[in-house]
Amino acid sequence: MILNHYVTYLPFLRLMDTIDKEILNQIQSGFPITKRPYLDIGTRLGLSEKEVLDRIRALKEEGIIRRIGGNFDSRKIGFTSTLCAARVPEDKIDTFVKVVNEYPGVTHNYLRDHEYNIWFTFIAPDMPAIDRAIDRISQKTGVRDILNMPAVKMYKIRVDFEV
Amino acid sequence: MIDETDKKIISLIQKDLPLDPRPFAMMADEIGIQEDEFIDRVNALIGKGVIRRFGATLRHQEAGFNSNAMVAWIVPDDQIDEVGKAMAGFNEVTHCYHRRPQGDWKYNLFTMIHGDRHDECYEIARRMAEATGIEEYVLLFSEKEFKKTSMEYF
Repeated sequence: MILNHYVTYLPFLRLMDTIDKEILNQIQSGFPITKRPYLDIGTRLGLSEKEVLDRIRALKEEGIIRRIGGNFDSRKIGFTSTLCAARVPEDKIDTFVKVVNEYPGVTHNYLRDHEYNIWFTFIAPDMPAIDRAIDRISQKTGVRDILNMPAVKMYKIRVDFEV
Repeated sequence: MIDETDKKIISLIQKDLPLDPRPFAMMADEIGIQEDEFIDRVNALIGKGVIRRFGATLRHQEAGFNSNAMVAWIVPDDQIDEVGKAMAGFNEVTHCYHRRPQGDWKYNLFTMIHGDRHDECYEIARRMAEATGIEEYVLLFSEKEFKKTSMEYF
């Protein structure tokens, strides 16, 4: 009885099965842009629309799916993007990260094992906006050495992962 | 390239798709257009490359369960295109960009590689170096993730 209770009410303990994996492989880039997308996914995999919706809901609740939606080429929306690297003293890392992360255009930020130790991506309507933000970050944190390295050319971006 | 209606559509699909049998009808309703128009415009945005990919983003690819390394290379300018394409051809490479170096930072080609462990990343980088003849490179492993979100444009 107790075991049954756990199995029913702790869905995050459930392991992904083959059907979950098939769904994930289908919907990372082949998500149907149709009136009944979940029905169409089900048709491809031999599942009902309800089962697809239930499984996707569970995969979201378990935190396996972060979101379903569009991923954009920021330049084609008229925005610009760059990769920044900063040389931040150990005792200033927390403050620096807090200040940098307040900008909604900062979408990724990592600590890396190099003298340039903080690496973040920045998306904004134009480069002057990014330059101004970097100046303000410098003023607020006292960190002077921040590199701004927009892409000259992209050779590859892959966003799908086989599950 | 994109008009005001497209911007409204982007403002919705940059978020999470409703878990409803007719998610596009719901979103179309929110901005006062027909479901058909919404779907046609999303497909057009995909066709134009404004939407690079439409679908699920998984958490495992960002949680850093496995080893993710940025490998930065110093490539002579006259070889950058050839080397960039060769490195993009490696299955383990998920991103490959040419960036103009700045200040003390001399590396101009950036690749992201994913391996199960650090030593696997070193081995992948070694094979990339061998294949391209580029010997000056550095691996920067991610030690901590401070932020990982999707951009909200509008």
